Amino acid sequence: MHIMEGFLPPVWAAIWWIIALPVVMYGFVQLKKVVDENRDTLPLLGICGALIFILSALKLPSVTGSCSHPTGTGLSAIVFGPYITAVIGFIVLLFQSLFLAHGGLSTLGANTFSMAICGPFLGYYVYRALKDSAINMYITVFLAVALADLFTYVITALELALAYPAQATGFMGSFVTFLGVFAVTQIPLAILEGAILALVFKYIVNLKPDILMKMGIFSEEKIKAAMEK
Amino acid sequence: MRYQFELIVGIIIILFIGIFLYTTSINPDAEFSGTDTVGSAIVSDITGIPEEDMAPLIPQWVPPSGEVEACIFALQAAFGGIVLGLCFGYLLAQRKTA
Repeated sequence: MHIMEGFLPPVWAAIWWIIALPVVMYGFVQLKKVVDENRDTLPLLGICGALIFILSALKLPSVTGSCSHPTGTGLSAIVFGPYITAVIGFIVLLFQSLFLAHGGLSTLGANTFSMAICGPFLGYYVYRALKDSAINMYITVFLAVALADLFTYVITALELALAYPAQATGFMGSFVTFLGVFAVTQIPLAILEGAILALVFKYIVNLKPDILMKMGIFSEEKIKAAMEK
Repeated sequence: MRYQFELIVGIIIILFIGIFLYTTSINPDAEFSGTDTVGSAIVSDITGIPEEDMAPLIPQWVPPSGEVEACIFALQAAFGGIVLGLCFGYLLAQRKTA
């Protein structure tokens, strides 16, 4: 889950804001371009954005005896790229910090960096690496989504560890401690999210294969082969 | 098999619920609080500052009760659900009329 308001020293809160803000702003430019130029993609954008809204509202219990929520950013990162995903993620996080006290305005930069930037970027590169390989299209989506989700919380652990190195064991010590809380809790959720979003992707492929081909998400052969099954 | 994929996802969901039920049975004391709460507790462990003293840097509106919070979370999910259904419905209708 997010870093709560007041739990990052001002310096670190500012650093993450400075890193996150240009990415979100560039995302706005890209988003406007996509909306202006390619109206056909709007329903897809709606689906990807809505999934982030839904999944990040679900707090699910996990093996560690605590709860966390999936991020839902992976599918959007695959279809629209990480910059546009950063904008949607930022809006969700802003909503949650204003109305739910989940994360705060000062830690919004750090939370945006982990959930809306690092996760989607990793998912996007996993997808790019596997896109033209022999690996099944849905398994590619599953891996990209699950790893994007998991990586989000690795970065959350990193942000907290950088701000709060343990006295005895230093940065690595507290990084491992925070990973134990955030990343381990997240593993079952990441698998669940990957499976569900891969299924959603299957429905998109069945309903609207032409637009996915036009956007070049996967090669025509792969999409056609998947539809014949 | 036509619904093979749905079946696999269904099994993963059932496994997830199974793991949750197993966790609650072997560990009845588990609080299932959010990882942000757990993480914040570790922060105050490391720094030695009690959690109550971690003052917000920017004043923040906090939902007055768990019920209000649940309501706003439900609104967030409902909004997402409406948009999701709308967009899938749009694509479905587009294919039907094409």
